Amino acid sequence: MVAASLPSPLPLPSPLPPPTSADPSSRGRLRQVAGFATPVVRAVDRILPVAGPAGALLGGGGLRRGSVVEVAGTPGAGATSVAIGLAAAAGAAGEWAVAVELAGGAGSPVRGALGGLAAFEAGVALERFAVVRGVTRERWPAVVAALLDCGGVVLAETPRGLPPTVAGRLAARARQQGAVLVALGAWPAGAARRLRASGRAAAAARGGDGALVPGVVRIRVDGRGEEGGGSRRISAAG
Amino acid sequence: MDVEGHDPGGPEPERMVCVWCPDWPVTAARRRGDAPTDRPVVVVERGRVRVTSPEARALGVRPGMRRREAEACAPGVAVLDADPAADARAFEPVARAVEAFAPRLVVERPGLLWFPARGPSRYFGGDAALVERVVAAVEDAAGAAGAAGVAGAAGAAGATGTGGVDARGGVAAGTFAARLAARRSVVVPRGGTAEFLSGWPVDVLAGGDRDGGDPAARPAAADDLPDLLRRLGLRTLGAFAALPAAAVVARFGAAGLAAHRRAGGGEAYPPVPGTAPAGWTEALELDPPVERIDTAVFVSKALAERFLGRLSSQGRACCRVVVEVETEHGERRSRTWHHEGALTPAALAERVRWQLEGWLSDEGGLTGALTLLRLAPDQVIPASGRQLGFWGGDPAVDDRAARALARVQGMLGPGAAVTAVVQGGRTPAERVRWVPWGEPREPHPSRPYGPVPGPAGREAPPWPGALPGPAPARILDPPPAVELLDAAGRPVVVTARGEVSGAPTVLRGEPWPGGGGRRVECSAGPFAHDVRWWDRRARSRRAYWQCALEGGVVVLVGVARGRATLEAVYD
Repeated sequence: MVAASLPSPLPLPSPLPPPTSADPSSRGRLRQVAGFATPVVRAVDRILPVAGPAGALLGGGGLRRGSVVEVAGTPGAGATSVAIGLAAAAGAAGEWAVAVELAGGAGSPVRGALGGLAAFEAGVALERFAVVRGVTRERWPAVVAALLDCGGVVLAETPRGLPPTVAGRLAARARQQGAVLVALGAWPAGAARRLRASGRAAAAARGGDGALVPGVVRIRVDGRGEEGGGSRRISAAG
Repeated sequence: MDVEGHDPGGPEPERMVCVWCPDWPVTAARRRGDAPTDRPVVVVERGRVRVTSPEARALGVRPGMRRREAEACAPGVAVLDADPAADARAFEPVARAVEAFAPRLVVERPGLLWFPARGPSRYFGGDAALVERVVAAVEDAAGAAGAAGVAGAAGAAGATGTGGVDARGGVAAGTFAARLAARRSVVVPRGGTAEFLSGWPVDVLAGGDRDGGDPAARPAAADDLPDLLRRLGLRTLGAFAALPAAAVVARFGAAGLAAHRRAGGGEAYPPVPGTAPAGWTEALELDPPVERIDTAVFVSKALAERFLGRLSSQGRACCRVVVEVETEHGERRSRTWHHEGALTPAALAERVRWQLEGWLSDEGGLTGALTLLRLAPDQVIPASGRQLGFWGGDPAVDDRAARALARVQGMLGPGAAVTAVVQGGRTPAERVRWVPWGEPREPHPSRPYGPVPGPAGREAPPWPGALPGPAPARILDPPPAVELLDAAGRPVVVTARGEVSGAPTVLRGEPWPGGGGRRVECSAGPFAHDVRWWDRRARSRRAYWQCALEGGVVVLVGVARGRATLEAVYD
């Protein structure tokens, strides 16, 4: 595939008759063409859109660039699936997503490695997705800070006992670079949004192969976003 | 940008003499004494072969191979790390020898330089005579410090033995054609450049010759273009050049247009007169004067960033730059460097460093410390850097990510940053191959997935017994031991015939807090895998269960030889 570029705006589908303000069909046509020619994400948009019900939870329909989102939950409650969904949003917007996994014994609250196949099935663009493994507690702040420079979404497992000053510095870095830090596990400083996976609905056996399909993830949201705080309970597919 | 290509019937671009020393990094290393002269040699960079000696090439070693592959092809090969600064140092006497013929010479990289033919050719009695003299001078200069004598005259295609230098020269219109002419040591007659080019395969458009240039500095699109053209049925430069320029730019963008111009015998970026006002020159007075190379290199980095920053604020980029120094004894040196495509700050700083290494080394001949460092644009092109790619996406984003990941690899080691490639397999862990960042993203050869070579639309066949989706979000590696018990409290096992001893009822010993045993509400399985049943030693039999525990947690449990392990969590 060639990463070529277009020097001129997209060609219009067919020659347009000159629109007149009085003609409603021409106006409609013009609007349609304008929608066709506008980029999906404008430079002024500071939101990475997240598809599905999780987007509605985040306020503004997606991840706000430069913010910190905390995703927490007990093992098996579905926090990882929610985080992977947020990483897919980065790929869809043409940004990179990088996950940071802690080394064993570094106080990782969620155990196990990120499932690459689950990420693929969730729609993460794998060619713009990387995982940094085996990060020790001492190296963790430097690694996350370096990755925030790439300006996409960083999914970082938070080590236990992370000092709030370090967390504050990383949040400032994210704000400065326009990156989104998705913290897996408790985030000590103020996060813009706190998503808490509180469990799955009952799994159901699928007809055909008889495999179990895990139930939807229940997410509770606390946020300081513009829509105000409070908590909600909304189901999201996971 | 105008969409006009080079008009085949119009005037050709300026005729250029190109001098090429094949495999210069190998030659330079041999002359330094770092590489043996009686064995094959390869130069590796980031684990990949970049340059090979002729003997290694005869044994089948190719650039781009891994180091181990090269060692397998050529047993006893001497493997060296790339040292571009040392190569540049060694090339400086060669550049000065050529400077005696033509002051307006431009260095592309150590081992390759070119200059306009017009003045010198007339003075020395024609293109062929000029090339012969220049090549002889180059071989003298390069071989002077070497152990043995000079090899070959113009057109000596044969490799040389010990310490001798193989240099080739060619003349054609435009730098691209001149470089190809140098490869064959020919002088292309006036007006014959388009015809000369038409027979070459499109692969030469990728920018690398045999000893490659710097793959990191080349635009990524340039590597993909020849491959795409071949698949479109355009196998030669002539066929590509015959396309109308407007169609090429609509389909392949600016990079494709530049390649199309080159294929037609033009310049990739036609010179735009009067676009480089003197105000774009960036200079730095060094007070106190700088003697040490590393200090000079350090200040030159900031200078390179400032220089390109000013150009880009005007919407310009630079592909040819003059590096100039003055010393406290009033000596003044300048050298022009060219780069395929726009120079990035890193590429420019590297070239400045090479040049300073060349001048400040003993062979460079500067007697005093540096007092002034100046960068002047020689050829300015419109910047096309931040444009959207053909399929969306911003190339600058990929650059930023590459930098950040390279930094992390520097901190934690090359295996720390990995990317996922989906491949064939039965379990979720098998279905993904984690490839260290920077290596080719390909599935394991024995586990194909997706389209496979052959008739269009052919896909790799599915794996029988693969676990059905959705895939678990957390893979436990290594999987911790658990106990999967049936209603009677006995471990669940599967017999050789695939019969299950009992339905899973309780899972005990999960590794997370509060894992004191949970009831299995419902389960699916067993998904039995009999892996490599034809191989007695490698055979393994496992069975998998998906278990929904109370509390809504779904896990994947594997059982092999009567022992259960927790393989994954649907987190």
